[in-house]
Amino acid sequence: MGNKQTVFTAQQLDAYQDCTFFTRKEILRLFHRYRDLAPQLVPLDYTNQPDVKLPYELIGSMPELKDNPFRQRIAEVFSEDGEGNMTLDDFLDMFSVLSEMAPRDLKAYYAFKIYDFNNDDFICKADLEKTLNKLTRNELTEDEVRMVCEKVIDEADLDNDGRLSLEDFQHMIVRAPDFLSTFHIRI
Amino acid sequence: MRRSIYAGHGTWRNFGNLGLTEDEIEEEVENETVQLVRELVELPSRACRQRIRGLPMNFNERRNIRSQVFSAKLSKKSRLPTCCTDFSEQASRSFRRFGAGLVTARRFLVIWQNTLKEIGGTFGTSVLSYFQFLKWLLMFNVFSLLINFCFITLPQIIHAPNITHATGFRGLELLTGVGYFNQTVFFYGGYDGEVIETPPPYNMQLAYFFTMAAYFLLCGISLIYSMAKSFQTNFVLHSASVSGGAWRLLCSWDFSVVNEKAVQHNKNNLCVQLKESLSERIQRRAVLSLSERMENVARHLLSWLISVLLAVGCCAAVYFLLQDQVVSNISQDPDNLVTEASTLAVPVVVSLINLVVPLLFSLISRVDQRSNPRTKIYINILRNVLLKMSILGILCHHWMTDVPTSVSCWESYVGQSVYRLVIVDFIFSLFGSFFGEFLRNIIGTKLIPSLGVPEFDIATNVLDLINAQTLAWIGIYFSPLLPVIQFIKLFLIFYLKKVSLSMNCQVPRQSGRAAQMQTVYIALLFFPSYVGALSLVAYTVWSLKPSELCGPFQGLSRPFQAVQDWADTVQAIPGSQWISWIFYNVIKNELFFYLLTLIVLVLTYFIWQVAQGRKQLIRTLREQIANEGKDKAFLLNKLQSTQKQRRPSGISISQDVSTVPSFTQNWMNTFPLDM
Repeated sequence: MGNKQTVFTAQQLDAYQDCTFFTRKEILRLFHRYRDLAPQLVPLDYTNQPDVKLPYELIGSMPELKDNPFRQRIAEVFSEDGEGNMTLDDFLDMFSVLSEMAPRDLKAYYAFKIYDFNNDDFICKADLEKTLNKLTRNELTEDEVRMVCEKVIDEADLDNDGRLSLEDFQHMIVRAPDFLSTFHIRI
Repeated sequence: MRRSIYAGHGTWRNFGNLGLTEDEIEEEVENETVQLVRELVELPSRACRQRIRGLPMNFNERRNIRSQVFSAKLSKKSRLPTCCTDFSEQASRSFRRFGAGLVTARRFLVIWQNTLKEIGGTFGTSVLSYFQFLKWLLMFNVFSLLINFCFITLPQIIHAPNITHATGFRGLELLTGVGYFNQTVFFYGGYDGEVIETPPPYNMQLAYFFTMAAYFLLCGISLIYSMAKSFQTNFVLHSASVSGGAWRLLCSWDFSVVNEKAVQHNKNNLCVQLKESLSERIQRRAVLSLSERMENVARHLLSWLISVLLAVGCCAAVYFLLQDQVVSNISQDPDNLVTEASTLAVPVVVSLINLVVPLLFSLISRVDQRSNPRTKIYINILRNVLLKMSILGILCHHWMTDVPTSVSCWESYVGQSVYRLVIVDFIFSLFGSFFGEFLRNIIGTKLIPSLGVPEFDIATNVLDLINAQTLAWIGIYFSPLLPVIQFIKLFLIFYLKKVSLSMNCQVPRQSGRAAQMQTVYIALLFFPSYVGALSLVAYTVWSLKPSELCGPFQGLSRPFQAVQDWADTVQAIPGSQWISWIFYNVIKNELFFYLLTLIVLVLTYFIWQVAQGRKQLIRTLREQIANEGKDKAFLLNKLQSTQKQRRPSGISISQDVSTVPSFTQNWMNTFPLDM
């Protein structure tokens, strides 16, 4: 495997390989996907680590994300500034966690952060209501929404504090063997 | 350690209002990082990398930790002379790159990567599991093809015996497998049992036996391993009864679906499921009166009775047809096209039964109304499996008892029967796709719009695949190159189903529990499919007399005789006594298997007891968590009230007053606060 690419230095590629679940080839392919979103903003040469951030609108328009109801939360969770504007590192990180090779605990951690709309490290009733609205817009009445959220907290809250902590969420994930395959975006 | 990593950074913020300053918190975070780096340095390099990849922090922090860990490791190794460390670093780095390159190259060999991604994106993970199952079955056949070709067919072709073709090639051979193909290496009859004298001598009998044995052994190991892994991930951890389904809101949204229509469809499904689970909660399940319960029981019994009668009827039909064929076989004229075509009667009838009766079963299942859709699916699968396996059982019984006595070169005959079944099954699955999906789609959209677009019925399709693979496994001993046909068949079915799916079907409604169904399918593939085929082949090898005139085992009293003779000859060679010892005291000795079974049973009982103990432990721990939650609430309440008492007395607490959040009664909702 000769070092034919000129985008990254060998050390950079090694670092990417060690910190994500992707191979060299996939990292380069993802770099080109990132660049295709805005060829005029992203240079072809990353050896001197340019500080390039793509705005959320471009990320959210990718075919893998554009129909996902949670695309904004995903971008916010993985971006450094919390607004959804992603550097290449954030971009790789995002797809690495969402790939099929990431372990269950890591995915559960990030899924928890995605569903935690107010970023208080707990999924409270308001967060659940927002999640529900994103998934079933206008289909359920207000009463039904409230009841569903109460039911979720009833079923999943282990330490009885009225909201879901990360441990409660992880315990719930353990009971859902499909989670590893559904929390997965192919790119 | 893991817990503190996941809860670490946030938790320290939470404790802000307990009296720690910002600096103290930063110090704690630093300490944690240092501890993490120290722990990572201890690990071997591969495990270290896996851990780094799994750290829940953003990319820059992870890169930071990685560089710290590597410099720490380097400084540890720097006691050695620098040329050695440089060399070892470079060697390990190039080795790692080579390994990564191998992984990338292997991905090239993975076929259908993009197609599977497309299907998963449009139809979701449950439909995708069917196609992944198909791909997995394909691997079995490719492996079988390779070893059969290399170890049996190639030597035979190189050292070809005189093959006399009784008849020229006519088109019908492709369907029936007789005539031109009769004496070729395609079937058992085309092999002979000579010892090929090229140095070293290659014993065809032993090669045939050991190749088959090795293949079945490896298949069995692979199946057991997949079954155990799948069972562990999908059933064991699911032990606690999940009452209701509202938790599904958070766990089951399929992120991999990228098609807009499919996303909308999934949203509708989720809505329907949530409404169902809500309505279950609202109306307590009505206590059924005695008459209603009796009616239910009567319905169940009736539907089972009808299904069993139907299955028995089909088996009887096949049995009588087979008996009829035996009679006509005795007067078989190889040149007569009509008799040759009449051999297709049995496969056509069998495939027709396999196509039509499952539809009847699904109609019958509407008679007994079960409220639980999962039980419905299981019962449906059970009935279909019973039907298919009993028909195969009748066929195998016929092949093992009637055929060896009435046909010369009976193994080739059995191979040809299996070949016919495989081909006709494929043709009928083409028809099934056409009528089941294409026409149904047209009826559903144009003629009777209320029926709607058909759903992709995963269970029926998977059972068809399992049936096809059972036939292939049965046929391998009698027709070593049958995996070629099976490979082509599965390959074409993949594309057929994919096209049919995209043109005709919609996403199935009950899309949950795909993972559990996967375990059930693998279990069905192991038993009765693989176990049945294996016992059939084992019975043939152990007890049946091979035909006198053709095949590698001609002249022996049973095929296993070849191995026995070989063990005897090996005993004469000095220094190889141990092979003979193993053969007589381990393989042929019943006591050994008895002891082995006893040990396995004892181990199983022991492990079961351990599992029971762990269940009890989980229950206790869960209660403990609930209690600790109450303790935490109580303690924080007490802290709040204590601090409230302290503040009016003016005792200075060592913290920056501007960062002390004001405690409100509703502290739980404002917890934690920004600093």
